[in-house]
Amino acid sequence: MGEAILTVEGLGKSFKNKQIIKNISFHVKKGEIMAILGPNGAGKSTTIRNIMGIMYPDEGSITFHSSKGVPRHKIGYLPEERGLYKGVKIMDILLYFAELKDYPLEKARKRALEYLEKFDLKGKEKVTIEELSKGMAQKVQFISSIIHEPELLILDEPFSGLDPVSQELFKKEIKDLANKGTAILLSSHQMNLVEELCDRLFMIHQGQKIIYGTMDEVKKEYANFKCTIKGSNDLSRLEQIAMVERVEQDGDQSILYLTGDVVIPQWLKQLPEGLQIEELSIDRTSLHEIFIGIATGKNMLMKENELYAK
Amino acid sequence: MRNSLKVAKWEMKKNMKNKSFIISLFLTPILFLVFATLPSLLEKFDSEPEPPTVYIFDDLHVWNEMEKLPQLKELAWNVKATEEENPSFLEGKENVAYISLTEQSLNDGKIPVYISEDVDGDFVHETRFLEEPLRQLQLTRLDLSEEEISLIAKGVVMEEAEIPHPESSQKGDVEGESDPFKRLVPGAFAGVILFSIVITGMMIFQSASQEKKEKVAEIVLSSLTPEELMNGKIIGYFGLGIVQVFVWLLFAIPIIMWRFDFPVMEYLLVPETLLLLLIAIAGYLLFAAIFVGIGATVEDMTATSNFQGMVMMLPFLPAAIIGPVIADPSGMIAKIASYFPITSPAILLVRLSALDEWPWMEIIISLVVLALSIWLFMKLAGKIFKTGILMYGKNATPQEIWKWLRQ
Repeated sequence: MGEAILTVEGLGKSFKNKQIIKNISFHVKKGEIMAILGPNGAGKSTTIRNIMGIMYPDEGSITFHSSKGVPRHKIGYLPEERGLYKGVKIMDILLYFAELKDYPLEKARKRALEYLEKFDLKGKEKVTIEELSKGMAQKVQFISSIIHEPELLILDEPFSGLDPVSQELFKKEIKDLANKGTAILLSSHQMNLVEELCDRLFMIHQGQKIIYGTMDEVKKEYANFKCTIKGSNDLSRLEQIAMVERVEQDGDQSILYLTGDVVIPQWLKQLPEGLQIEELSIDRTSLHEIFIGIATGKNMLMKENELYAK
Repeated sequence: MRNSLKVAKWEMKKNMKNKSFIISLFLTPILFLVFATLPSLLEKFDSEPEPPTVYIFDDLHVWNEMEKLPQLKELAWNVKATEEENPSFLEGKENVAYISLTEQSLNDGKIPVYISEDVDGDFVHETRFLEEPLRQLQLTRLDLSEEEISLIAKGVVMEEAEIPHPESSQKGDVEGESDPFKRLVPGAFAGVILFSIVITGMMIFQSASQEKKEKVAEIVLSSLTPEELMNGKIIGYFGLGIVQVFVWLLFAIPIIMWRFDFPVMEYLLVPETLLLLLIAIAGYLLFAAIFVGIGATVEDMTATSNFQGMVMMLPFLPAAIIGPVIADPSGMIAKIASYFPITSPAILLVRLSALDEWPWMEIIISLVVLALSIWLFMKLAGKIFKTGILMYGKNATPQEIWKWLRQ
């Protein structure tokens, strides 16, 4: 991966005596996708707004390595609050944002048409925003954030409110941009989407860092195995099986969360013979489950708060 | 600054493409014209009733002479001589009149005019022009000389006169006193500009509020600073106001020149106009600062609190005191109002249009007060705008605004 473009160090911000974020540190490198994950209200947007210079941090520092201060012309930003001028034509808006970034207008027009086509909005450049559906407007907003070929793209909850097809489209585009060398910082609470997308992640909860590391590291460290069994079995009996951390039962289906040091072949051999098994599957817990575990306090991670991936 | 100009250009373009702005731009002068010309048009329709049939009982044998009077030809009465001494024969007829010219009535000095009910009320006034020839006739019968007649006919009139001013030169006198338009035209011109840009200035309020409502501010602010955005809006709407004035004047000046045969441009192209324009622009900047700041605190126009509503009324404050100011342009109220920033631009314009001698000292003090207030209001508006534009979901309360101001 390339050199760091943005470094955030020891960021802290309070509103009315309430600390919203505390001691947030991470960096974003050229050509990588870095995700800030966390439940609603964890402080993701606050972190991003501080980076964008829309808010001013109480403590800590934000460094853009290419320039002093916020290099506004080199950043693309998709805020969490969706909105565009309503009574204005799509092309006019896109060109306005390109102009604000000092991007050559002819080039911008060409890029706008290209992207509109990519996002199934071909021929709509003269349609006004108010005539678009919410999802379409979001696509236009996304285009407006990348129209000027930014070096650093900051996306606050880019997937919220999109249908699955559009989500895939966005994912593909974000990946493409990263491959072309754009540094991407995105925030989300939709783990399943981020899991396949990001290179590194920063998980934040109640304004503080929980996990920070590459996707693989995080998975290795936190994503233990789980075993899903279909068949009616007693909860107490399942809990007595070795290496089982906890069991979630929903009707006929039981999910056994296994400890980190489990060796799967051995564990399978020692399963009690009386178990009723119609189906059995073993896989790693997803980011989603880690996340829910953290957010609801079930996961032992909360107790091992000090243990970081890196 | 460059970014501000980009925003200004955008705001202008956005509005110029907006149908409602275009419509109101052209509709305002048209409505103005309609209201200005409609009464006289209606009057024309109204004042052309059938001319009445006028029966003249001419015992004095003067009608042949009087008929030649030019006024009568204009009136186009339908005149008929009659031998009937009694007007009762008119009973039942429509749109008729009867004038009885007899020795008796001439000696009495009262000529009876009988009219049927449906005759236009103005008819009696129209008969007045008969009075003078009849008076002449009266006098001739007294056997007076021509001179005596003309003297008596002249009557006595009280006439207003100026106290002679020994020091002032003849030339200055003529220019200074006799031409109220000299000051009035540039003043009115600056007044129109002030009015127009304050009206578009009120659109800043909407624009700031909309920026907030449409949640687009955050994207825009990722490219420029809040100050640049705010200044851009102020410049943009100033430009719109000027475009509006330009369009209005395009209608107004030719019409005034054509209808009233009045040399507007001659009165307008004087150095005084520049000062008046400066005052108008200062007024705009002051109100623009207020509007853009307050607009950034309002998301939902319908739920605007009394506080914000009152702020919107500020430009109309001078209207409340304009009466006394016009009555006495150098009076106490006029002076105080021209030192008070909110009322200063409009009141100054009114005063300077009315006064022959400009009170330069007062003008300078007012301009200084205005400049300081603009600086202060812009600074305060910047503080409010910066925080307000990014606050989503609710209108700011006066307490919150106060807190931002102290930050």
